[in-house]
Amino acid sequence: MNNVSPLINFFIEQGVPLETVVLLLMLPVVVTLIAFFRQIVGIKAFGIYTPAIVTFAFLAVPQLRYGVVVFVSVILVGMLMRFVLKSFRILYLPRVAITLSVIAFSILFLLGLGGYFQRTGLASVTIFPILIMITIVEKFVVVQIEKGNKAAVILAVETLVISLAGYYLASWPMLIKGIIAFPWLILITIPINIFLGKWDGLRLTEYVRFWEVLKNLK
Amino acid sequence: MFEELKNARKLLGLNARNLAYIRPYNKKKSKRLADDKISSKRVLRKAGIPVPKLLARIKSVEELESFDWTSLPATFALKPNRGFGGGGILVVYGRKKISKKFLQTDLVETPDPVWIKSDGSKVTVQDLKNQIRNILDGAFSLSNMPDTAFFEERLTLLKLFKPYAYKGIPDIRVIVFNRIPVMAMLRLPTKESGGKANLQQGGIGVGIDLISGVTTSAVLGEGKLIDYVPGTRMLLSGIRIPYWKEILLLAVKAQEISGMGFLGADVAIDRERGPVFLEINARPGLGIQVANLAGLRERLERIKGLKIKTAARGVRVGRDLFGGEVEEEVEEISGRKVIGTIEKIKLIGRSEKSVEVEAKIDTGAGFTSIDTDLAEQLGFEDTVREYQKIEATYKDIKHLAKKERWDIFKHIPHLESMVVINSASGSTYRPTIKITVIMDGVTIPTKVTLINRAHLKYPIIIGKRNLKKFLIDVNK
Repeated sequence: MNNVSPLINFFIEQGVPLETVVLLLMLPVVVTLIAFFRQIVGIKAFGIYTPAIVTFAFLAVPQLRYGVVVFVSVILVGMLMRFVLKSFRILYLPRVAITLSVIAFSILFLLGLGGYFQRTGLASVTIFPILIMITIVEKFVVVQIEKGNKAAVILAVETLVISLAGYYLASWPMLIKGIIAFPWLILITIPINIFLGKWDGLRLTEYVRFWEVLKNLK
Repeated sequence: MFEELKNARKLLGLNARNLAYIRPYNKKKSKRLADDKISSKRVLRKAGIPVPKLLARIKSVEELESFDWTSLPATFALKPNRGFGGGGILVVYGRKKISKKFLQTDLVETPDPVWIKSDGSKVTVQDLKNQIRNILDGAFSLSNMPDTAFFEERLTLLKLFKPYAYKGIPDIRVIVFNRIPVMAMLRLPTKESGGKANLQQGGIGVGIDLISGVTTSAVLGEGKLIDYVPGTRMLLSGIRIPYWKEILLLAVKAQEISGMGFLGADVAIDRERGPVFLEINARPGLGIQVANLAGLRERLERIKGLKIKTAARGVRVGRDLFGGEVEEEVEEISGRKVIGTIEKIKLIGRSEKSVEVEAKIDTGAGFTSIDTDLAEQLGFEDTVREYQKIEATYKDIKHLAKKERWDIFKHIPHLESMVVINSASGSTYRPTIKITVIMDGVTIPTKVTLINRAHLKYPIIIGKRNLKKFLIDVNK
């Protein structure tokens, strides 16, 4: 630790762990990235909370791939449960409750399976990232009901893409060092977000969607 | 590539829609009214706008339990009051007949009615109850707020739309801004959309020319351009929407009443009632731009700040500014059809033989001339054969008297007359035959001259004699 800002030092002296300080300062960066994906690129994902929380869940697991395995399993079981529960015709909350329960069992089984195949990394994933990822299934089910399976899967994939981008950004050593050395730089995210909030041009995905129209305009 | 990127400023994207139009022009109070279908329909009805009849509404589980199911008609639509994007709507098309078994037994209570959906599946009272419970729980409402369910009269399908629509009722979406209709499309339900007309659900959007109310280009779902209704040969362009002016007027009036500056108005056409207003939409989708192959933003910017006093004036401005071709009006004023220099025409010859060809419109020619091959196809084989046997050219016979000349040709079957045609390549003496030309819907029985046009691009030219009922637009 050669370059530590006095501000960061102050927090450490007060007993706040460095990791916590960095993660909290990283939050504005991650959510700005998500806003960028929405406003400029046009990738929607499940709002801002879900990709942000999944990013931090990924940061909290010992190895990224185990985080992705858990995420994908949660979505797959969520999809499967829709077909299973469809014929029962039950109301929303009990339906989500059953889906969550089955996902919990499945993840437990998955962890056991990982241990059995000597993938001890999987079993050593701590409980909170797992719980976080299980609860995102509610978002998934809501979209499933409102817009159908296809839309829900697309949003889930978008969430995964954004969370992975967030993960790589937030675990980039240069950025972490930069934040520790110059924590005030984080404030740049505010003008960036003001710009994003005023940006009224087409999103990148809209260029694709409207390409035929663009070709036909004179 | 760069051309397309430059054009991006003419299109309305989600960012600009939310930031530049919905935020500043749609106040929260008005938006709330638009999202509340029951209230907005009541307000519209009071203002004299025709809306579908409200049959019943269910606000709570208690009301649901005490609801009299036999009070419902054979056909209706069940909707969530604050639904969006067509979610949570259930439509039934008929009631299943009560089986004889029930009638024979001495049960005092009548059995619960059973309805039929568009795909033929049954809908029981239990199914309705479940759907309504989900609606009450907010499964289909914006941000999952607890909601009200309501039953509504189902409109009847217009005959014109029958071959285009799968099950449900097509409707017309009109974007209205500042009392001016800006863009419109016909929305057709498909098999994939489950009888709903929303593009997000997989319906078809067909662009409509604002001036004429005739459909132009079409999009399936969110972005696939199509010409025909999938799986059929039903062409989607060229459909003339009936009650066009009234529909635009309804849309603008609804905008006035709603208090919103920018909205999507949905109007359906009922077989008996004519145009019926369906709903106002505070966040209209942008797929309408693909259906019309036109940009909303450039149109909206053109009319920003215009002072429009009445709905009728707004409709006129919108149609004048954004309607594609004024040609129809020219046709109305002059009583003549506008055609281009090349037109697709139909020819009817002997014994009802007909051929469709492309014809060149030639104002330099007096007579219409057709190629000998074409004449053969029209049943004049004998005429052509006999004519080609005569070797005399115009030069050989021009010194003869009219009667003498006629004697040379008069044996040719189905001959109408012989005429001298002076053209750039010299004069010719040509036989004429009688056929019928149908051009742009106008039927013209006429005399046409025969000539070998095998070396020319078009097998027929239409001359001045047959163009009296037309105006020619060289740009067409």
